[in-house]
Amino acid sequence: MGKSKENLLILLQEAQNKSGYLSQELMVELAKSLNVSLSDVYGVATFYSFLSAKPQARNVIRICKSVPCYLKNSQMIIETVGNKIGIKPGETTPDDKFSFQLTNCIGACDKAPAMMINHEVYGDLNPNKIAKILKSYL
Amino acid sequence: MDKIIVTINGTKVSGSEGMTILDAARENGIDIPTLCYRLELSPIGACRICVVEVESSRTLVGSCHTPITQGMVIHTHSPKVIETRKAIVELLLASHPDSCLVCDKANLCELRMIAADLEVGLPRFRLQKNYYPIEDVSPYIVRDLSKCVLCRRCVRACSEIAEQNVFGIAYRGFDSKVVVDFDQPIDQNVCQDCNVCIPFCPTGALSKPGRIGKEKEGKPLIITG
Amino acid sequence: MSEKRIVLRNCGIIDPERITTYLDRNGFKALEKAFSELTCEQVIEEIKASGLRGRGGAGFPCGLKWDLSRNAQGDEKYVICNADEGEVGTFKDRYILEGDPFTLVEAMAIAGYAIGAKRGYIYLRTEYHYLLGLLKNAINQAKEKGFLEHFDIDTREGAGAYICGEESALMDSIEGKRGEVRYRPPFPPSRGLWGKPTIINNVETLMNIPQIIVNGAHWFSKLGTEQSKGTKVFSVSGDVKSPGVYELVLGSQLKELVEDLALAKNVKMVQVGGATGRIIPHEMMDTPLTFETILGAGAITVFDESRDVIDIVCRTMEFLAEECCGKCIPGRQGTEAMVEILKRFSRGEGRQKDIRVLEELSSAMMLSSLCGLGQAAPNPVIDSLQHFRSDYDNRIRESEGG
Repeated sequence: MGKSKENLLILLQEAQNKSGYLSQELMVELAKSLNVSLSDVYGVATFYSFLSAKPQARNVIRICKSVPCYLKNSQMIIETVGNKIGIKPGETTPDDKFSFQLTNCIGACDKAPAMMINHEVYGDLNPNKIAKILKSYL
Repeated sequence: MDKIIVTINGTKVSGSEGMTILDAARENGIDIPTLCYRLELSPIGACRICVVEVESSRTLVGSCHTPITQGMVIHTHSPKVIETRKAIVELLLASHPDSCLVCDKANLCELRMIAADLEVGLPRFRLQKNYYPIEDVSPYIVRDLSKCVLCRRCVRACSEIAEQNVFGIAYRGFDSKVVVDFDQPIDQNVCQDCNVCIPFCPTGALSKPGRIGKEKEGKPLIITG
Repeated sequence: MSEKRIVLRNCGIIDPERITTYLDRNGFKALEKAFSELTCEQVIEEIKASGLRGRGGAGFPCGLKWDLSRNAQGDEKYVICNADEGEVGTFKDRYILEGDPFTLVEAMAIAGYAIGAKRGYIYLRTEYHYLLGLLKNAINQAKEKGFLEHFDIDTREGAGAYICGEESALMDSIEGKRGEVRYRPPFPPSRGLWGKPTIINNVETLMNIPQIIVNGAHWFSKLGTEQSKGTKVFSVSGDVKSPGVYELVLGSQLKELVEDLALAKNVKMVQVGGATGRIIPHEMMDTPLTFETILGAGAITVFDESRDVIDIVCRTMEFLAEECCGKCIPGRQGTEAMVEILKRFSRGEGRQKDIRVLEELSSAMMLSSLCGLGQAAPNPVIDSLQHFRSDYDNRIRESEGG
């Protein structure tokens, strides 16, 4: 298949996994090698919520805010995580350890409230558990 | 080739393989309003203004992209169709700036014309508007994306007619936006003086420079005591 | 009423990492039977006769879909497994893939044989990235054992977009683009991935295939109701004591699932089918779960009496507004408008005339949206207005200074 247009998303995913975000230099290079416009690359990069065209920390915390987790007090999880790392959803810690986001249903409703850190899923959360989990990323 | 016979608004008409409902209607003098559709461009079915009722179909169908089939029974102006089109226009107006009075597109604006034809008045709800700064650094084109209805006619005109790919769609849902490069203001480096896209814009989102940059003529209205 | 495990028959029994444990449970016998005893047409006839319908939400007859694709002209054809399970409250496909990836591989190979495809894709949501290794391992082991000589399966990972569970958006995503929906017709069986005939089936739909081939259509069609054959796997969450995955014969009552199996108490309402699903009040809990009544992809979210309907509907609509692709006006502007109005109700600023607007927008969105998301987005609004109108009215009275 080589460098054809249909690999755009796959290549963006690879770059995202490698660098933690999609830099403009990288997207320029990708556009050239696949012979597509910058706006098309940017369009794909900004469509998917697990791709980021802005710098992010190496560890991305995503707390589920959808209804099944909400019923299990996800608000408390959001507050606990926010207090522990000292930032609000949408922000990155000054030491670049964590980026913090809210996300839609991650398919762990049987273990609500749940969150993801990078590709790992953590369920049945409570403040104690969160402290331990966050520690393992420090 | 066999003729395809369909019924539009109670009248039997004939068409041929590959014709859309819109083609068949227009050929027979029936006007269906459109917004994202243009004859010169490939259809995308995005605006849904051109929806019509087809008997036995659960939903209304987009007439600009749905081919006619043998025996199809079509209603282009039934109450259901009209109500739906009105709601779609109201949804657009709810996030559109109220600057019609001073907009250079004036009464050539297709959104305004469709709204007038369908007798859609002031929207009954407001959507948080997407305000974008006016992009007027290019000597060839001015973009005021607050007036953009995301019909993508400029995107398609640029790629299909001008064979450039200056525009793309970025972000998702209500945040969707027609962007240049990494969402930068359009300038002369990316877009030359080809003028293809500007006439395709149904609203005042795209225009030629000169008028906006210049001071408006006429005196400001001053009300005194 | 107890569970009936057809789709889940191997989950928790086999080792999902070792194909030998699957072979011990008659694994790949269906594929062997299809190859040695049945023509492609006979396989499709069997699926048609079984009455199997799509488990992803739309309920389209599976055999008919295969037939359309078999008869479509194309030098290449594709089989896609939709493992983009993103519907709020759904996790049954995750459970299936965790427990039995081999049945899925076998089913896709049978589908490939039936429609004449040489290539298949499993599109897995990125939130299930941790299952990718398990899936690839299952494919590789099947290859090593010689079961995939005529059919190749590849995996594709999503990147965080609910809309990519919609079949046309899913195909655009596999093609490397933004996951935006396409207008139809043409439908995927005639023109799908890269313009070629394509069938797209949900994980659970495919899981039924091998057993239908082994045991026969008649065995399968004895289960369920007139128009809803077989079983359904449900994901139950929310205000229940035992959340989890349950497989029941179609036609079972919502009450049995929610109260008898998942042990819910003081139920106010149940959302069946996730964000775009239906809201069923407690009084209607004896409703049978079928395609004719309520089903969706089998997400069951239970709410007890302490919950605020308007708050739930508002949050549901926020989800849909965030996740719609943005291409069509009713989907993009309609969901956003509903969020604004519902938020007003949540803040106690709703007015009687807003209800009229909600109803009119609902109708327009259902009738004119480009895809199923926009068409079904008004469901929670319509259902809550029908069954919990007094909640809205009380809120209006409060806001009007009552």
